[in-house]
Amino acid sequence: MLRKRIIFALIYSDGFFMQSRNFRLQKVGNLNWLEKNYKFQNIAFSLDELVVLNATRQNKSITGFAKTIENLVNDVFIPIAAGGGIRSVEDAELLFKSGADKIVLNTALHTNPELVEALVKKYGSQSIVASIDYKKNDGNFEVYINDGGTKIDLNLEDYLNYLERLEVGEIYLNSIEQDGTGFGYDFDTIEKFESKIKIPLIIAGGAGNESHFMDGLKYKNVSAVATANLFNFIGDGLPKARLKLIESGENLANWNVNN
Amino acid sequence: MKIVIADYGMGNIKSIISALNYLGADNIVVSADYETLKIADKIILPGVGSFRKAMIQIRENNLDKYLEELAVENNKPLIGICLGMQLLGTSSTEDGFTEGLGFVNAHCIKFDNTDLKVPHVGFNQLKTDSESKLYAGLPNESDFYFTHSYKMVSENEINQSYCHYGSDFIASFEYNNIVGVQFHPELSQKNGLRLLKNFIEKF
Repeated sequence: MLRKRIIFALIYSDGFFMQSRNFRLQKVGNLNWLEKNYKFQNIAFSLDELVVLNATRQNKSITGFAKTIENLVNDVFIPIAAGGGIRSVEDAELLFKSGADKIVLNTALHTNPELVEALVKKYGSQSIVASIDYKKNDGNFEVYINDGGTKIDLNLEDYLNYLERLEVGEIYLNSIEQDGTGFGYDFDTIEKFESKIKIPLIIAGGAGNESHFMDGLKYKNVSAVATANLFNFIGDGLPKARLKLIESGENLANWNVNN
Repeated sequence: MKIVIADYGMGNIKSIISALNYLGADNIVVSADYETLKIADKIILPGVGSFRKAMIQIRENNLDKYLEELAVENNKPLIGICLGMQLLGTSSTEDGFTEGLGFVNAHCIKFDNTDLKVPHVGFNQLKTDSESKLYAGLPNESDFYFTHSYKMVSENEINQSYCHYGSDFIASFEYNNIVGVQFHPELSQKNGLRLLKNFIEKF
């Protein structure tokens, strides 16, 4: 049976990893700090996937970000999706060469559909994750690009249809309003849209404990639950959460083999 | 132990190298050079991207001839991973009909069930044979990480194992010295590391 996934999203900005709340960033530490304090390699053994997002607000440098990916990939034997600031085929290529298994696109989805098509053709749909940041406003579902800074002219439903035509591989649906709150996912929106999305759907924004994961995993069309909440889940938080979910019968992968 | 990763410009080679390093293999070379491939103990054929583009680049690098001589005629252990596995088959319908290397009698088609989310992404369980060398020490129904839109099928006996997504498709084969895995062992946690260790030690 195809398993559901738990994904951790690391938010990167200018050499550091960040805690994000409603897209406001707070510095937590660099990779060494993360390794030293949180034994990231051990945590990775209880994750299905890692997403690393370059949220640097000004002068996003793809080379510095790629270097971080390169260091991160050692001893982490799970898929890594990386993105933030990809504006050309060369940018994507650099991230793949640095160890990314997939790339994450957000702003370019809207501003440069030709680039998206070129990347789908070169790397295949399965290598492209479409990240969508949205807000609810008076019954409207507004989509934002540029790290939540710019509202676009399409609403979420139209945008999802547009992305389906671009043949991206997965949707990473992130609620700006729930981001980093730890209050749980935005289920109103998920319920409204999950059955309309024909490709794997990753939900993000708001998870603060394992019961939020469990709530998200209940939806038939939710393929994966993601969190970027370093404070709530790093340490032994994630291994414990995964174990509890498996014990309560959730459809998650097991890797109990001894090497 | 010298492991050569056949290089034709496509594939997430870095994850494969770091998994092999973790297992203690330190003589790993990425190359398309005949002499280098010839002295390899094992060859890995990686791959991510389009089948058609991969075959064009393989032919441009003469890897089709080298691999045929070394793996098919001289029985050097070869493992194809993900697209690399599909390339070992006879053909794929991805991006128009394209002939593959044809080392095993199996072909690739798109997942066609409209109720399914495509690509098939995530960990999925395998039905494996207890006699298998590749899965030694791994229980039946072990989880491995997949990410693909095309699947390999065959009516022939190529010592295959299956995975179920809509219908059964070939998750792996162990056709004498020629091995293919549709999933990514290098991204499959401890299960994948064990499988790579088995390939290194038992083939």
